[in-house]
Amino acid sequence: MKLKQDRMSSAERIDSLFNYRRPDHVPITMIAPTFSCRNAGLPVRVAYSDPQLNFYAMQWAAEQYAWDQAPQIVRHTVVEAMDFGGDVRLPEGEYEGALMVKSYPVKSESDVEGLKMPEPDKTGMIGIAAELGRLQEAHGLPVTFVSRSPFTIASNVCGLQQFCKWLIKKPELCERLMKAAFDHTFNVLRYWADTFGAEKIFVFMSSPSESNQVISPKQFEKFALPYHLLYHERLKALGIKRFYFHVCGEQNLNLPSLADAPPWEHPAILSFGHEVDLETAAQRFPKDIICGNIEPAIIQTGSPQQVYELARTTLEKGKGIPGGFILSAGCELPVASPAANVFAITKAVDDFGWYAE
Amino acid sequence: MASEEKTREILKAIQDAVVGYDEETCERLCSSVLEEGIDPHRAVVEGLTGGMERVGELYNSQEYFVPELLLCADALNAGLNVLKPHLKIEDAARKGKLLIGVVEGDIHDIGKNLVRIMFEAAGWDVYDLGNNVKIERFVEEQKKANTDIVALSALMTTSMLAMPKIIGALKAQNPGVKVLVGGAPLSQEIAQRYGADAYAPDAVAAVKRAADLIG
Amino acid sequence: MSMRPDMMSNKERIDALLKGRPIDRVPHFPFIPGFCARNVGYPIAVMYSDAGKSFDAQQKTMEQYGFDWGPLYGYASYGTWEFGGTIKMPEGDYEQAPAHVTFPVQSEADVAGLQLPDVKKAGCLPTAMAFSHLQEKSDTPISVICGGNFTIAGNICSVETLCRWMLKKPDLVHALLRLATDHIVDLVRYWVETFGADRVIPQMWEPSAANYILSPKQFERFVLPYLQESSEKILAMGVKHILYHICGEQNANLPYWAQVPMGDPGLASLGEEVDADTAIKYFGDTCVIIGNIDGKVILEGTPESLYRLCTETIAKLKHAPRGYMMCSGCELPPASPPYNVYVMRKAINDAGWYE
Repeated sequence: MKLKQDRMSSAERIDSLFNYRRPDHVPITMIAPTFSCRNAGLPVRVAYSDPQLNFYAMQWAAEQYAWDQAPQIVRHTVVEAMDFGGDVRLPEGEYEGALMVKSYPVKSESDVEGLKMPEPDKTGMIGIAAELGRLQEAHGLPVTFVSRSPFTIASNVCGLQQFCKWLIKKPELCERLMKAAFDHTFNVLRYWADTFGAEKIFVFMSSPSESNQVISPKQFEKFALPYHLLYHERLKALGIKRFYFHVCGEQNLNLPSLADAPPWEHPAILSFGHEVDLETAAQRFPKDIICGNIEPAIIQTGSPQQVYELARTTLEKGKGIPGGFILSAGCELPVASPAANVFAITKAVDDFGWYAE
Repeated sequence: MASEEKTREILKAIQDAVVGYDEETCERLCSSVLEEGIDPHRAVVEGLTGGMERVGELYNSQEYFVPELLLCADALNAGLNVLKPHLKIEDAARKGKLLIGVVEGDIHDIGKNLVRIMFEAAGWDVYDLGNNVKIERFVEEQKKANTDIVALSALMTTSMLAMPKIIGALKAQNPGVKVLVGGAPLSQEIAQRYGADAYAPDAVAAVKRAADLIG
Repeated sequence: MSMRPDMMSNKERIDALLKGRPIDRVPHFPFIPGFCARNVGYPIAVMYSDAGKSFDAQQKTMEQYGFDWGPLYGYASYGTWEFGGTIKMPEGDYEQAPAHVTFPVQSEADVAGLQLPDVKKAGCLPTAMAFSHLQEKSDTPISVICGGNFTIAGNICSVETLCRWMLKKPDLVHALLRLATDHIVDLVRYWVETFGADRVIPQMWEPSAANYILSPKQFERFVLPYLQESSEKILAMGVKHILYHICGEQNANLPYWAQVPMGDPGLASLGEEVDADTAIKYFGDTCVIIGNIDGKVILEGTPESLYRLCTETIAKLKHAPRGYMMCSGCELPPASPPYNVYVMRKAINDAGWYE
């Protein structure tokens, strides 16, 4: 609580990173819509069902733990299985922290044929996401658009297991699903740009199904990478400037091909899991802002001292990265993380994350 | 057979013995009810219960506190033990059935005991599960005893958090069951939020709320 | 990183308050063991069974939320174990503190055989002493926490039995209160001999004497004389301040509480049942007032409603003649949302500065 006084506002701090200037201290950003709810004594389902409460819970957590909302990372704007007509329910009970898919919209090959494109302004949780966007706009924050990569969306429309089998046996089905995922994403993004203005939008993307725990680097290059390239062409065309890419999980083997053809405009925020070494990330993506990568499981189960130490060593590695650095958990902040562990990260930044004036 | 005048005199004396927490006198007077041929059911209703109603009033007006209430209940029970074997079956028609317990995580049971006493005195069948009662046990016992009402008590803010879960589980099993809650950290507003049918601020009010609930 | 920087350290602030000198802002007094456990991810039992972990969890949590004073060890069912009964540590989702399992006194005959506990060995006292050594090392106030005289007596034979005996066997009640009083004095003497009278600030929590249970007349007859006796003996040892947690609904007892010497200044910790004017009326001239944010609002209220309650309470009590420390009205509910606990400190930041 006895933290030093900031020399910059949160917006100035993030702007300075996007202009390759050193901020006052290393910013902290968290993917924490559900943790924020719990932190405010609200049920986790609020992160999916009540944009107003969720917005304030995230604002409060950002204030309490001195996070920079670069951007404010909300639940998904595009909810793959739900948008395409699958049966999805809100999390319940003490242990669920995410939407639960009861049945996928695509169960068989023939379902791919009959897949209908969702209405970009009505389907799934878009109404809720738009309301959150309006709150962000009203509070002077960038309006976030949160989706997964087309490859990941496609895999979540038919189930990852089925998708993996089709990658080998029926790649044309995967292509059709990715095309549908891509088109849907941009239908919604266009609606977002029409509603809020492209200059206010901050796009967040994550790509968990592309991790090397699931696919090979060759499969990544063949199936996933082309859509990343297309994605950024379209973002550019829409006039959207700010992009946050959470390269989720173990993706070390994918990094070379991603680095050879970095499709996004620099700098982007590239966020990595604890599986990727920050120095490696910085070498591969020298023109981008590197973000990461405290292991979430340790934040959830470790002691405050352990988390503080881990945050300190992460800061040591990250603070000097030439393209800029943001401290974060390696993936979503676990909903059950003890508050003292989350604060230990803030304290580590206060103790070790300041840049000289 | 005692005259009406004599009967009234004895019943009044029983009331006074309950109010004066005089266990021995109460027991003796109840024995004289039997000797004088007075209807034991009438002695329970007008003597013992009537006495406990006066105790409730004294509690409400802050003349009596917990020590007095406990001893009044002891006096009432001493009298009831004398009269009970002589009650006819039709007299035993009770006002309602109540399951009561202190919720999981909480051992503070004085409040619950006072509520139980007031219900028993008012002629309810009471099933007391004691303190630190697990959610499942409330559900099982409600089913077994088929009570009209379940009364939940908590003294700690921590343990009161178990209440919405218990209420949910009870209603899932038997949507018709009514749930009454009470205890220091509770309020009307919290009770409502937790899905309870009623909240009672004290033991005397609890009996009234319960009577309202079962109409 | 948004709070106004303090002008004093926690220690300077507390020292100044106790010496009647000006302070920079209202201190935030901790009554938070269960919350600390949750905040760092420990089972609550650890707070009572492991002095080192308990101290560490409290220290980290206090730093995080900006509490003053320092870590504390104690619980309301004190006395049961120390006089020979058994207790169990809290477990599961809903238990908050140790609870009695069997009472040392189960019949009238047991009272005669009851012995004063060995304060070096009995019950939780070795853990409490280990905890106080940590307080000494970290230069925070050294506390020894036990029940008030009546609460200890209730923890020896059960409050229900004590209530019955008050009317039927008052001699037994007096015998138990005699033992409780002697034990309190023994206990504090042991702490004073170990750490020095200057460093020790004993705390006595007296929930069982609340008017939920006792009438003010019963308080006057059974509670007051023993409180006065132990207080006088403790102050005669050179102890400067005693904290009494006047727990729950005790409005009708306050005229008597005001007659209990608590030191100069004393420390009167009050529940939400007592309003600010009444607190000042009875304790303002002699005590620092501690309290009395309603735990229900901390646990279940919106941040706005809690913030309002805290700023209003601060406004009413900030200028109490001998000073004020903001605190929950009783133990802060362990399941309180972290943001709400943060909001309490934010209220001090916004409304608690002395200009």
